Amino acid sequence: MMPIWTKSGEKHAVTLLKVQDCHVLRYVSKEESGGKTAKLLVGGKNVSPFSKPESAHEIFKEAGVPRKQKVTTFNVTDDAIIKPGTPLYAAHFRPGQFVDVTAKTIGKGFQGVMKRWGFKGQPASHGQTKTHRRPGAISTNQAAKVYRGKKMPGKMGNIYRTSFGLKVWRINTKHDIIYVNGSVPGHTNCLVKVRDSKLPTYKDCNKNPPFPTFFADGDEELPEDLFDEEIFQFTDPSVTFS
Amino acid sequence: RVSSDGKPPKFQPPPKPVIIDRKTQKEERRFLSPEFIPPRGRTDPLKYYMERKDMIQRRKVINIPEFYVGSVLAVTTADPCASDKSKRFVGICIQRGGKGLGATFVLRNVIEEQGVEICYELYSPRIQAIEVLKLEKRLDENLMYLRDALPEYSTFDVNMRPVPRMAHEEIPVNKLQVRMKPKPWSKRWERPKYNIKGIKFELPEHKMKAAQKWSQPWLEFDMLREYDTSKIEAKIRKELSEELEK
Repeated sequence: MMPIWTKSGEKHAVTLLKVQDCHVLRYVSKEESGGKTAKLLVGGKNVSPFSKPESAHEIFKEAGVPRKQKVTTFNVTDDAIIKPGTPLYAAHFRPGQFVDVTAKTIGKGFQGVMKRWGFKGQPASHGQTKTHRRPGAISTNQAAKVYRGKKMPGKMGNIYRTSFGLKVWRINTKHDIIYVNGSVPGHTNCLVKVRDSKLPTYKDCNKNPPFPTFFADGDEELPEDLFDEEIFQFTDPSVTFS
Repeated sequence: RVSSDGKPPKFQPPPKPVIIDRKTQKEERRFLSPEFIPPRGRTDPLKYYMERKDMIQRRKVINIPEFYVGSVLAVTTADPCASDKSKRFVGICIQRGGKGLGATFVLRNVIEEQGVEICYELYSPRIQAIEVLKLEKRLDENLMYLRDALPEYSTFDVNMRPVPRMAHEEIPVNKLQVRMKPKPWSKRWERPKYNIKGIKFELPEHKMKAAQKWSQPWLEFDMLREYDTSKIEAKIRKELSEELEK
């Protein structure tokens, strides 16, 4: 995470996400998948092919791509279908866009009720016998049972969670890095899924993004760094108020 | 000798001696700002490379001078509320923290009998100028104990003139031992974990001995805590010198 300043001198914290060897692996049509839209399987980050059996390599062989560490699905409209095997780059996103980021949260192991659910526990002194971090009562007398989903101690973390509506501040096309506002679930260097935001406020926010995606061998020549309008670029002189 | 004309030969001045100033060559490599050295961790070095590129860009626009904890600086920042839209603060640097673009330094001064500390970000675009009025080092890396010292040690004249310094001198170390206000202090500075050499402790002997109970003499031999930055520093110095010349 890194600080970023706007032209008015305000500071924002920004997470750097690297797009590492992303390829489209397969196209699944609406009828095949049984959902409402067609799906595209996308794989990221090349890994050694020797740790999995040959049967697991079929998808990658069809697309002509080395084995990927993670394969995710994206729901896609019919006009945005991409041929399997095309590489995906950071320039697919543009500064000023809003994005949802999904990742597996940091695993905390088996945790008690105070850390996992934020219970208040019991006082440290004043006669408490061996009861300082326990849940206390778990149900009522009338219920005569414990409800399903009762908050209790258990394994915490290591589940998929999404941060919604994160602004994209800057894109580096040379190293394929996306600078995304705020924090993102997951530990450093973990695999992350970045998707156009589904929030209703940002439905019409995308101002002419590359559609269906940014093709590297196309005619478009992008500069090395794409900045949002409000970012203070370090080539400018210091901010002055008038 | 006599030339063919009969006149004395034209005076040829001796060739100018070429002075190879070994000292300057050594001094050029001496100072690397501490925020360039990446901390120990499992982050991708590409992240530090991107940060360094931005830091170098900013250094090309503004001159961020070499300074240490204990030097007196004057910082001019842009401020929307001030009448001239800019603010100048003079103070002694008591702490330098943070790595990369978020590097900060804290300046302390006593203005009208009120101690004031301001934490500035080195790479913030609101900073318009940083001048070093007095470049010197102190015995410690962290001068937070000045909060509990007598106010005379933290007062610096706001209209102080910059102390002239020869171009290639050694940075002077001020071996000042500071006198403290009576206890209680904000932190127990006599304890060995702070390892402070710049205070003249006027505490009784038994209290100083009792403070040594919290010493951890095994820490200096702990090999897992060692972080050898010499190779990393050399690489970064090379990168910096190349980029700044462009």
